[in-house]
Amino acid sequence: MAERKVIGKPVRKVDGIPLATGQPVFTLDVDLPGAAVGKVLHSPHAHAEIVRIDTSRAEELPGVLCVLHHGNVPRIPYTTAGQGWPEPSPYDSFLFDRKVRFVGDRVAAVAAESEEIADEALRLIEVEYRVLPAVLDPEGATAPGAPVIHDEEDARGIHDPQRNIAAAIDIRVGEIERGFSESDVVVETTCEFPYVQHVPLEPHCVIAYLDEEDRLVIRTSTQVPFHVRRIVARALGLPLSRIRVIKPRIGGGFGTKQEIILEDVAAALALRTRRPVVMKYTREEEFVAARTRHPMKVRVKLGAKKDGKLHAIEMDVLSNTGAYGTHSLTVLSNVGSKTLPLYNKAPHIWFHGKAVYTNLPVAGAYRGYGATQGYFALEVAIDELAEKLGIDPLELRLKNHIRAGETSPIFEKIGEGREGKAQVIRSCALEECIREGAKRIGWSEKRGKRLRDGPWVHGVGMAIAMQGSGITDIDMGAATIMMNEDGTFRLLVGATDLGTGSDTILAQIAAETLGVPVEAISVYSSDTDFTPFDTGAYASSTTYVSGNAVLLAARKVREEILRVASGILGEPPGELELRDGRVVSTRTGKGVPFAEVGHRAMYVTDQRHIIASASFVPPESPPPFAAFFAEVAVDVETGRVRVVKFVGVADCGTPIHPRLAEGQLEGAIVQGIGHALYEEMLLSKRGGVRNPNLFDYRIPTAADVPDIEVVLIPSEEPTGPYGAKSIAEVGINGPAPAIANAIYDAVGVRLYRIPFTPDRVLSGICSPAVLK
Amino acid sequence: MAIKRYHYARDVEEALSLLLAYEGRGALVAGGVDVARGLPGEIEGLIDITAAGLSGISREGGRLVVGATATLEGIRTSREVKAYMGGFLSEVMGHVATLSLRNMATLGGAVVSAHPWADIPTALIALGAEAVWRNEERTERAPVEELYARPFRAIFRRAVLTEIRLPAWDGAFAFEKLSRNAGDIALVNCACGLGLDAEGKIAWARVAVGATPYRAERLVAVEELLAGEVPSEALWEEAGHRAAAEARVGDDMRASAEWRRAVIPVIVRRALERAGRAVMGDR
Amino acid sequence: MMKIYFELNGEPVYTEIKPGEMLLDLLRRLGMKSVKEGCRTGECGACTVLLDGKPIRSCLTFAAKAKGHRITTLEGLGTPEDPHPLQEAFLEAGAVQCGFCTPGMILVAYHLLSHNPDPSPDEVRAAISGNLCRCTGYVKIVDAVLTAARWKREGKWRKER
Repeated sequence: MAERKVIGKPVRKVDGIPLATGQPVFTLDVDLPGAAVGKVLHSPHAHAEIVRIDTSRAEELPGVLCVLHHGNVPRIPYTTAGQGWPEPSPYDSFLFDRKVRFVGDRVAAVAAESEEIADEALRLIEVEYRVLPAVLDPEGATAPGAPVIHDEEDARGIHDPQRNIAAAIDIRVGEIERGFSESDVVVETTCEFPYVQHVPLEPHCVIAYLDEEDRLVIRTSTQVPFHVRRIVARALGLPLSRIRVIKPRIGGGFGTKQEIILEDVAAALALRTRRPVVMKYTREEEFVAARTRHPMKVRVKLGAKKDGKLHAIEMDVLSNTGAYGTHSLTVLSNVGSKTLPLYNKAPHIWFHGKAVYTNLPVAGAYRGYGATQGYFALEVAIDELAEKLGIDPLELRLKNHIRAGETSPIFEKIGEGREGKAQVIRSCALEECIREGAKRIGWSEKRGKRLRDGPWVHGVGMAIAMQGSGITDIDMGAATIMMNEDGTFRLLVGATDLGTGSDTILAQIAAETLGVPVEAISVYSSDTDFTPFDTGAYASSTTYVSGNAVLLAARKVREEILRVASGILGEPPGELELRDGRVVSTRTGKGVPFAEVGHRAMYVTDQRHIIASASFVPPESPPPFAAFFAEVAVDVETGRVRVVKFVGVADCGTPIHPRLAEGQLEGAIVQGIGHALYEEMLLSKRGGVRNPNLFDYRIPTAADVPDIEVVLIPSEEPTGPYGAKSIAEVGINGPAPAIANAIYDAVGVRLYRIPFTPDRVLSGICSPAVLK
Repeated sequence: MAIKRYHYARDVEEALSLLLAYEGRGALVAGGVDVARGLPGEIEGLIDITAAGLSGISREGGRLVVGATATLEGIRTSREVKAYMGGFLSEVMGHVATLSLRNMATLGGAVVSAHPWADIPTALIALGAEAVWRNEERTERAPVEELYARPFRAIFRRAVLTEIRLPAWDGAFAFEKLSRNAGDIALVNCACGLGLDAEGKIAWARVAVGATPYRAERLVAVEELLAGEVPSEALWEEAGHRAAAEARVGDDMRASAEWRRAVIPVIVRRALERAGRAVMGDR
Repeated sequence: MMKIYFELNGEPVYTEIKPGEMLLDLLRRLGMKSVKEGCRTGECGACTVLLDGKPIRSCLTFAAKAKGHRITTLEGLGTPEDPHPLQEAFLEAGAVQCGFCTPGMILVAYHLLSHNPDPSPDEVRAAISGNLCRCTGYVKIVDAVLTAARWKREGKWRKER
């Protein structure tokens, strides 16, 4: 392997200086003259029919520009999920509907001269509701006689609307019944994941306006600019060519900005008023009316032979998609498809479940995307199985996890809302990850010791996980690279940097390939008018999918450069190489600077722009792997849990930018710790969110973060750009089970529902089973 | 918000006369944190009292006098406060919210807002703090504990809280709080104080619990149980259980009554232990 | 409407405000877009600015309170051409992911280092604990502040604005 000059180096983030100096680079940091403010009227009811809506008083208020509702917009079914094509989520949403399906659902929207006027206008809209019985419990959603949430006739793609089933899955490998009967030991456990939310620091926001050519420009905080364009075109009945979507810097996404939440309304208001329209969700609206992780109950049954070899795995999922089915099928699929291949030794597998509608907040994409919920149950069950077998849980995992050169039938059985594709694991350093993590946490010294420090009792626990790198045969990234006459380059990518640093990573890939420093590459990303297509930033795809596209484009540009340089140097391209911004002859050592190449191509001889585009569709989705180790201390008198130390060791292939990769892992782990210990959206008896604020929905602060150690163990993924795989999501899968298992190690209490609040922990400690 | 005017009161008299002139449509602003978070729609005038000379912190003998507009961070870092009761009040302030909110929020604001989940009322009630306020007729004063038994919100619609006076105690206090994470409000809290007589018996005890989820209350029965006894682990344990039996405890979305009842003995015991150690360390 | 005078990043400002206006809105109206709105209830810290050198929440501070005081936003610390050492340290450590919390984080870190040039990691964590970040897990932010502190002790903070 040639020495790499840019890959693996801690280059400065290409957007670092503007961000660190607070430049106006976010969606709402521009002030458009004449901008109006858009606001949404949300439903106060969980399930109701709008019998009458009277907007006349609102419209008469001076400063009100327009009021939209189901009576004055076209009725077109669509999905708010920003996914590839064909869209796997049901078309069960409308710009505005005659019915509201959760507390916070859209009833109407207003554009006004100011926020105050818009708020006043919302108060003046008179709505008469016929309140309908609501489904507030996913368990009861499919019961005979349960209210039907999507009874509209024009919805499409719902698995079974009459039974409130948005999506269902049933996958069998081998013979599950035989599997369990042949097993020496069987455990069964059910874990519950509540409503949790992404909480990006920047809430959803958008500015929509008509440009000088009367085209609709949507400047939005999104992870999926090209899907925004396609979905808004559909929802508003506009030609796609009339829409331009620009994604500036965005203040965090984690999946919630893989949804069209405000863009459609803002666009409709801008078209109606012919004024720029600014919309932003308040933090409260973010909690009530944006998206959440799918709450789930996951039942896992494991059968194993005496020696610890897994023999049968059943996973049964009840997923609550809330009022709309956005991402319902694909998140459900991922509960199994991203977890079961990890334990590929079991010949008998049954994975089944359903995603049900309820009149509750709408779930959507959230980092981990079902795998997180699946791993919580699976990795707690593995811990229980280890105990029953009398085997160290670490050894049990080593005995069963997938390795390079192996496959799993699940890859072929489950894909993105359809069948999957067979795939062999080409790179896997999971075993090294497990061993390294065990060493760093002090696994053998601490486990089972219940070390005491006053009322605090310590314990250690672990979990392992994998994810994917993009979506096989569906995701697509494209890149264009052009050379300037001074020998620098312009890199245009549709890929969407949502704070992860992907613009930097893609620049590194281009720079490495072209033999220049990163400073010679200027990146322009995520503008549907000016950058090539990309499905967007989700499914851990950018480094792998868009990165491969950049690599291919850069190689083409390299060929072009060599061709031009060959003319200058008088040597065949095969004798030339790109090095430090020059084309150098490997034979004579003579060289020519890129500036001369660029200048000649543009102005002098055989004139043409050195420019190339390439697309990449992943033929497989190599999983990153990770091992997680938690040391917790439990205050046995109050039930409080403190994470003393957390170790995350990951194999993300060859990290392009180790520091950014570590940052992904650290950030995901701390989100996961938040889920495990504090985070939960509490719902009222009427289906509303009781804690729609950061005062009572607590997320981790710096003072809560324990000693976190992350380690990257490189592997070389042959299909990845410079050996890289993904890293963005895998880290969030480990904390909940690792902490649950550590709490069990400390105090003998098994917790099956997050968050592990003092209340729940203490009641576990005080239960008769534990006290004996 | 329909705020029409923002006034900067130069002294208490001006603040009071403006407040009275607004006849219920004016609001006093110190740090502004609670005012900004939940301003009633009828308020038209804001009266800023941070330049009204109410931010002083001073010692009068063993007592501590804190002006109503002293910020929580100012109190936390004040040398006078650190010298008062072994720095107890400074420690309590360290539990409240986060730095940038403590730079804004004031002691007067905390007393007047009297959030049931707050830490400061618990500490003030245990300390026997006295509130001093000016109304149309005169300067009035009352222990904070007593104030909360009166319609205090109505009082402060027509009065300016000027200072909090904290008595000197021969002994020590300790504060305990359980919360979800750093910077959080209390799921339950307590403040306990003790003094010993010449024979080493408890001469006086003060016990208050708060965020139960109700507003802080003193538990006199627990104080009586402690008085006259010789400090011991068993005594702290007994006092803790008595506190749980005495305190009014309820459910809210943050924690169950059952859990609160289970942990009150623990935090009261821990606070008494710490206060006891401090007192005995003094000897 | 009322007029107030105050000092913004070292420059005098004499401007009209609405009496109930929040400092967050005033500052953004004046072009200080580093001041971010994340919650408007004082919980997230994205709107943090310094008032007379001390961090406050501009979302809960009436703009009228700026009258006669010194306000510092991130724009007052460094520029793209001449970034502050803290800004350099944040980039070097990888402490900037989405960057939305960064302005507030850097300002509280600046305040910390102005009175404690040699903080322990726990002191850094405590000092920044009122500012939420959902991207980084705080590990690299703590590293960045410790790095900047070291630079400061080594005399590498060339100048203070």
